[in-house]
Amino acid sequence: MSATTAQFDWLRTTLSALGRRVGLSTNTDQERLDKARAVMLGELDASHAAYLETCIHCGMCADACHFYLGTNEAKYTPIWKVEPLKKVYQRELGPLRLLQRAVVPDITLAELEAWQPLVFDACTECGRCDLMCPMGIQISPMIGIMRRALAAADLLPAELAGAADEQKQLGSVLGAGKAELLALVTDLERAAIPVPVDLPAAEIVLLTSALDVKAYPDSLRATARILNKLKLSWTLLSHSVELLGTGESLKELHVRRIIDETVRRGAKTLLLPECGHAYPALRFDSAHLIGEALPFTVYSIAEFVGREIQDGRLKVKPEAGGGAVTYHDPCKLGRHGGVFEEPRAAIRALGLELREMESHGRTNYCCGGGGGQFMIGRAAPLRQRAFEIKMREVDDTGAPKVLTACNSCRLNYQNGAAEANWHTSVESLVEHVAAHLAD
Amino acid sequence: MSILEFARGPAFQVALVVFVFGVCWRLAGVFLMVRRFDRSKPRRHALVAGGLRAIVMRSLPPHELEKKIVFQHVSGYAWHLAFFVSLLFFAPHLPFFKQFLGFGWPTLPNTVALLSGAVALAILLALLWRRATRPVMRQISTLDDYLSVIVVILPLATGFMTYARVLPFGVRYENMLGVHLLSICLLLVWFPFGKLMHLFLAFPARFQAGALLKRKGVEA
Repeated sequence: MSATTAQFDWLRTTLSALGRRVGLSTNTDQERLDKARAVMLGELDASHAAYLETCIHCGMCADACHFYLGTNEAKYTPIWKVEPLKKVYQRELGPLRLLQRAVVPDITLAELEAWQPLVFDACTECGRCDLMCPMGIQISPMIGIMRRALAAADLLPAELAGAADEQKQLGSVLGAGKAELLALVTDLERAAIPVPVDLPAAEIVLLTSALDVKAYPDSLRATARILNKLKLSWTLLSHSVELLGTGESLKELHVRRIIDETVRRGAKTLLLPECGHAYPALRFDSAHLIGEALPFTVYSIAEFVGREIQDGRLKVKPEAGGGAVTYHDPCKLGRHGGVFEEPRAAIRALGLELREMESHGRTNYCCGGGGGQFMIGRAAPLRQRAFEIKMREVDDTGAPKVLTACNSCRLNYQNGAAEANWHTSVESLVEHVAAHLAD
Repeated sequence: MSILEFARGPAFQVALVVFVFGVCWRLAGVFLMVRRFDRSKPRRHALVAGGLRAIVMRSLPPHELEKKIVFQHVSGYAWHLAFFVSLLFFAPHLPFFKQFLGFGWPTLPNTVALLSGAVALAILLALLWRRATRPVMRQISTLDDYLSVIVVILPLATGFMTYARVLPFGVRYENMLGVHLLSICLLLVWFPFGKLMHLFLAFPARFQAGALLKRKGVEA
C-alpha cells in the first residue's frame, strides 16, 4: 500500500502519450466561440442567475481557494475564473442585458484561451469557495460550465482532450479497458478472490476505475473481499471503467449506459469504487440527465463499508498496535456528496486514533489534484503549491498516516509527497478494512 | 421651485418609480428564468429548513475559513448595521418616514445615531481604499463597485454636512438639505442597476445554496 514510483512512471508515460493524441482544432475561431457560448447559454439557469447577480465582489472566495492561498496570485480568485460566463450572462440573459451590451464587451477566443489555465490548472472544482461566499454563491458548478464551454471550443488541456479521445475511440481510459480489467479479475481469482463479472442479475452492481486497474489493483481486491465476506449478490460491470467529465455528451452516454446496465440486472445498489468524481456524477447529477430519480441507490465503497459497519453487518477486528491516523475527505465525496460520517465510523471500528486536520469534513482542503487537474503536466508546480497546504495540515495532526477513500486523491498525495520528500504514508481506507475483516 | 421642493417633489417621485420598477424588473428577470430542478434522491430532506438555515449561517462563516477574512467579515456586517441604525433611528429622519409611511417608531439619541453614521462612513471609506489597493479586489472590481460605494457615501456625507450646518460656497441650509435628499434620490435610481441589489438577492441566493447543499447532506 505504500507509494511506488511505478505508479508515477505509468501515469507520466500515459499522460504524455495522451497529450499527443489530439491534433489542432478543425473548427474556425468563430465556430469555437459560438460553441462555447452555446454551452454557456444552454446551461445557465435561474439559480446561476441569482448567484451572478448577487456577487458583491468582496473577494472572500480567494481565501478559501488553495491555489490562491498557495500563490497569493489574484488571478486565482475563484469568482474571477467564471468572468467570461458572467459576461455572456450579462449580455445575453440578464434582466439588464440591453444596457449591459453597451458596457460589457463580448467574449473572445483569446479570452477563453487565457481562461483555460484558470479553470483547468487552477481549479479542482473542490467547492471550498462555495462554503466561504457570504452570499451563498456556488462557484464550482459555474466552473463546471466554464470547463464544458472551453471543451466545446476545443480548449481542453492536451492530456484531458487525449483522455476523452481515447475513451471515445478505444473505449479505454488511461490504457485501462475491458481487457485490462478482465486480466486483473483473472489475477484476483487465481488468488482465490472470486469476482463475478457481468452476471445477468445481481443485487449490487460494482464499477471500478482506471486507477484501480492500472495503479491500485488492491482497491478492487479489497472491495471484492468485503462483498464476498458479506455474502452479497453482486457483479462487477466490465464495460465502463471510468467517467470522464470533460465531454458532456460522452459522459452522458456512459452514465446512461451504466444506469441501463444496473437496471437490467435488477440491482438495488450501484456501488462506486474509491473514485471521487464518479460519486456526484452518478449519485446526484445523473438524475438530471435521465430526468427522474434513479431506481436504485448509489453508494461509494467507503460509504457502503462504513454503513455496513455502523449497522453491524460487517465486523472488523482492531488493527494490531492501533496508532494514529488522519482522514482526508475527498471533496467529491464530502463537500459534493455528504459522505463524512461513514468513513470515520470505519476508522473508529478499526481501533485507530483519528486525529482530524484543522480543515476537515466540509471545509477540508482539496489534495490539489482533483477535477482532472492531476493529469495536466504543466500544472505540476501549481499543484505542489496547493499540496503544501495539505501537507502542513497533516503534519499538524502529528499522525504518521493518512487514510482516504479516493484513488485520485491518493495518487496526488503520493505524487506530491515524492516531490516534497515527505514521508507520511497515504493509504486506502477500504484496503485497511479488508485487511482486518473479523473471522 | 427650490432645490428642496424639487428634491421632495418630482425628483423623489421619479426616483421612487425607477427604484420600484427597476427592482421588480431585475428580480423578475432573475427568478422567471428557466430553472432546472434536481431530481436526485436527497441524502437529507428538510430542504426548506436547510435553505433558511443558510440564510442565517452564511452570516457566520466556518471558523476554519473565517480567520482569514476577519476584516472583510466584521466590517461588512458592521457597515450594514451602522448604516441602517443611522437611517432608521436618527430623529430628524423620522418625520420623513412618518409622512411617507403614515407611522413612525422610537428613535435613538442623536449622538448615537450620528456616531453610527460616522462608523458607516468610515467603514465605507476603508473598504473603498481596500478595493483600490488590494490585488484580489482590484482584479474583480468593476465600475459598479466604485459607483455603488460613492452613491452610498453621498447621502451619509451630505447628511452630516446638513446636520452640522457645514454649508460650502455659502449654500443655504434648505438647499443643503435639498442636496442631501437629491443624493438619496440618486441612491434610489442607481439601486436597481448595480450591486446594491444584493439587498434583495442575497437571501434567495443563500436559500437556494442552503437547500442545494442540504440535499447532498452538507451544512451550508
